[in-house]
Amino acid sequence: MSTGLGCASFHFCTSSLLIEITGKSAHHLKEFVRILKEIDESSIFFHVHNAFREYSFAPGQYSNDFARWVAEDLKESTLAEKLSSVYALDFTDLNAIRDRFVEIMEDHLSTAVEIRKASPGREFHFLRSIAIVSKTPYQAKDLEEFSTMLKRVGMRSLYFHFFDARLRLGHKTNDFSIWIRNCLQNEKVADEIDALDPYLMTMDQLRDRIVDICQGRINNKLFSMIIRIPCEIAHDIFTFGKRIYRLLFRWINE
Amino acid sequence: MSKKANPKSKITLADYATIIRPQNFEEIIMLADKLRGKTIKMVNSTAEGGGVAEMLHRVVPLFNELGLKVKWEIIKGRGEFFNATKAFHNALHGKNSEITQKMFDVYNEINEENIKEMSFDEDIMLIHDPQPAALIKMKNKCDARWIWRCHIDTSHPNMQVWNFLKKYISQYDASIFSAPGFAKELPIPQYMIYPAIDPFAEKNRELTHYEINSVMKRFNIPMDKPIITQVSRFDYLKDPIGVFETYKLVKKHVDCRFVYAGGTASDDPEGNEVLNLLREKCSGEKDFHILLLPPFSDFEINALQRASSIVLQKSLREGFGLTVTEAIWKGKPVIASAVGGIPLQIINNFTGILVHSIEGAAYQIRYLLSNPKVMQKLGEYGKEHVREKFLLTRNLRNYLLLFLSLYYPGKSVIEV
Repeated sequence: MSTGLGCASFHFCTSSLLIEITGKSAHHLKEFVRILKEIDESSIFFHVHNAFREYSFAPGQYSNDFARWVAEDLKESTLAEKLSSVYALDFTDLNAIRDRFVEIMEDHLSTAVEIRKASPGREFHFLRSIAIVSKTPYQAKDLEEFSTMLKRVGMRSLYFHFFDARLRLGHKTNDFSIWIRNCLQNEKVADEIDALDPYLMTMDQLRDRIVDICQGRINNKLFSMIIRIPCEIAHDIFTFGKRIYRLLFRWINE
Repeated sequence: MSKKANPKSKITLADYATIIRPQNFEEIIMLADKLRGKTIKMVNSTAEGGGVAEMLHRVVPLFNELGLKVKWEIIKGRGEFFNATKAFHNALHGKNSEITQKMFDVYNEINEENIKEMSFDEDIMLIHDPQPAALIKMKNKCDARWIWRCHIDTSHPNMQVWNFLKKYISQYDASIFSAPGFAKELPIPQYMIYPAIDPFAEKNRELTHYEINSVMKRFNIPMDKPIITQVSRFDYLKDPIGVFETYKLVKKHVDCRFVYAGGTASDDPEGNEVLNLLREKCSGEKDFHILLLPPFSDFEINALQRASSIVLQKSLREGFGLTVTEAIWKGKPVIASAVGGIPLQIINNFTGILVHSIEGAAYQIRYLLSNPKVMQKLGEYGKEHVREKFLLTRNLRNYLLLFLSLYYPGKSVIEV
């Protein structure tokens, strides 16, 4: 499905996730690492992004499900901090993220004095998701329409264009920036959106920041129209007046 | 955003649209549109009583309003069949039940009888719980996709019963469990759909002050000081004695009332024993109220939770813990043990507070009673969390997603 990056307009899509239980569970870290090494990529993607998609009240508390489990159920705070610091934006493929998690955990295990076990019922269950992607009725032709529509589409649409695009679909940026850069030729706004760190805010906050950036640009344009243009005209009239004055002055003196 | 509903009026999609985010509502409409005209049959074993029937009563008309053609059928059985399936149910929950070969035979026999009487012409068959699971024998004789929905906590099942059912469940196209820990090793896809609450049900609908006050008056509970309530069966696993111990610790510092309200299951001989023990322990404590509620006390439970300052769930073991969901939906700060499905609902310090001991529960109650703003925030965040994840509409959406996915087996990204 096209993600709406054609130059006529931006067509918002949305993705809904159906959660599948893989049947693989870890009781302690050694078991966790063993499963992590072999679990399929969609499970890694799910657990790295689930926190952003679902826990909208706790931005930044744990950046991924692995860190949350290690902190809350294994009580391994230091390891949890290290896992939480894995920065998804640094990676463009899921296997590289997997390798980083494994590296951190194996490093921890090599010096650990004890292997902590989660209490019964608090094991880590590996899940994965099936994404059902569909087009919404919302389209935008310019930044103003884009801001309006972004406020109307759901968080799952924002998630699809921002997170899915980065990793699952292999984009190095997000769909919004691509469209704004390529179709609206607005490098500045595209770069500003690209520079946002979606992993340190809630989805609501992310949406508001994107709208602010677009709105800022629109406001700048309005500012230009309302303030700059009359000022320039006034400046021109003043300059023209000065010339007339100089001509008159020269003519009187002569 | 909440809407007060007359419990007797017909609740339609438009009512839910006033409660959930507009985008989520639009998504449901959009997904349903892709399934318009599909015929689906839901099958379970009872029309009244129990959470599954309650859910189907609400969900089936909503699916039809969305343009799907959904029928609900109930398998027929006789006493010995339901005795057998009750024993299976308890065994799957991990309780000790006597299971005999005769029970398995009766189970097969009744399912065969139902196969002869039922039609299987629909596009999708959604079978709820173990009672009708053996209807799958018809799979090869029809074109339908078959889904088995397990509403039971099967984390510690009796293996004799599970292995018997497994041979049927393995033939389905997909299965649904309420939490990852309930799933088992199966050769078919297992999806997770959380249980959900209905915001318009008698247990959850908004109440007037008059309604709340009348219930409190009827139970003789003055509302003169903060009320901390636990709604649970009289069952050791719900830790009623732990609740009383918590009360004693809190009461040393804060003047408050505790209410322990619940019923005893008819098939649970331990219930009366627990109730008597609790009564004995707290005799003379005028601020610890024990309420033995009859079945179908949804309105009273609703009022009790709404009259409370804090809702407690100090269970030692839980299934999903829908009572917690119900309390959170009412905007109440909830302090609960980190067991079963409770940590899925409570993000500690955001949507409630998770505790691990009597001392922890007592300390957190004291802390919250001294910090009303924190209570308010937990209540607000909690309600939003439930709105997004644990309302019936989320269930509706997940079922639609599952129905769609059945037509794209093995695909992890489906474009519709």
